[in-house]
Amino acid sequence: MPRVLTFKVNIETGKQGPNEPVNFSFNGHTMPFDKVIGSNEPDAIFEGSFDVNSFAHSLTLVGPEKGKWEIDKIRVDYECEGEKPYVVNWGAVTLDETTEVNLWQDPPVPAFDV
Amino acid sequence: MNFIKRFFSGMKQKDEVSEPVKVETPVSEPTVTKSTAPETENAEGTGEGEIFADAPPAPRTVLHAPAVKQGLFPESSDGILIKAQPSPTGDQCMFTVNRVLMKDCSWYFDSFESAAESSLAESLFSMDDVETVLVCEATVTVTRKDKTLVDWTPLAKEIGAAIRNAVEDGQSLIADKIISTIPSEDTIREGIQKVIDEEVNPGVAGHGGQINLLAVKGNSVTIQMGGGCQGCSAADLTLKQGIHTSFRKAVPEVGAIFDETDHTAGLNPFFS
Repeated sequence: MPRVLTFKVNIETGKQGPNEPVNFSFNGHTMPFDKVIGSNEPDAIFEGSFDVNSFAHSLTLVGPEKGKWEIDKIRVDYECEGEKPYVVNWGAVTLDETTEVNLWQDPPVPAFDV
Repeated sequence: MNFIKRFFSGMKQKDEVSEPVKVETPVSEPTVTKSTAPETENAEGTGEGEIFADAPPAPRTVLHAPAVKQGLFPESSDGILIKAQPSPTGDQCMFTVNRVLMKDCSWYFDSFESAAESSLAESLFSMDDVETVLVCEATVTVTRKDKTLVDWTPLAKEIGAAIRNAVEDGQSLIADKIISTIPSEDTIREGIQKVIDEEVNPGVAGHGGQINLLAVKGNSVTIQMGGGCQGCSAADLTLKQGIHTSFRKAVPEVGAIFDETDHTAGLNPFFS
């Protein structure tokens, strides 16, 4: 597993959003984002990042404390030690107080043209 | 360091506020997947919840949103484009072509003889170091005989040129006799389920493992490893040398075998 230097999320909320602080969980530790722009209210876009500097076992976006959060799209930009920066996009998912959604994906396997 | 600092400062703030932590039990059963958080005993109802006010919150269910795949190739290209992706272990290399080679099914060639009349596989087996060839949709996965070599670049270029020539020639990439012998999905499912029940699962049960058949599409099968197999460091070896061999022996027409196990999410990995 690589050492994650930093990651940045861009989350598009659908018709239902809790409009409350957004937390992520890195290796089981729940934290708020740094450099937050926007919110998770309905039809809004939330952006946040965090300088992790640690090895990734798990990374999740934590659901709201109350109500539902309909997410249309999630984009995550990763910067890992010794790897080229890479981006992963996910589709729709709905979170609530009992759920979180995976945000971690290993760096892509290197490919070359032949 | 930043993460560690923030984690400990977060803990400190929590202590200063000293608000009681409410432990909630999930209202509904987990619907999609498993939790990565360790199982914790719920103190509610025992009276212990009041004593241990800092008890960890109930674990949440980890969902997996559908990943949006990025195209490997530019959409506006007419030429034959091929990308080579060696596996992290270096034992095989997958070649993705910007066109379909075998539609709705797949085929595993284990020898030069099995490649007869299939121009693509024949040309690949003419190379000394090619051991097996798997053709599935727009991909060709090749294993090599020399397991000590991890640099695929020279062989990958040869294979890429061979795939390009075979596609340009326009001949039958896969022999018609192969296509006609592929059984129905029900027959494949029945055969694979039988070998899982009678051979594979009794074998991995000794390690607390379990194999589930998730799907059959054409003659390609998707499995999931559970119990002690999930997160096990030997899962790749079990899959390739044990499960693949058993499946292909019992159902020779089986093509690609996909593993959809999330090995990072295991609650009970054998070697944890």
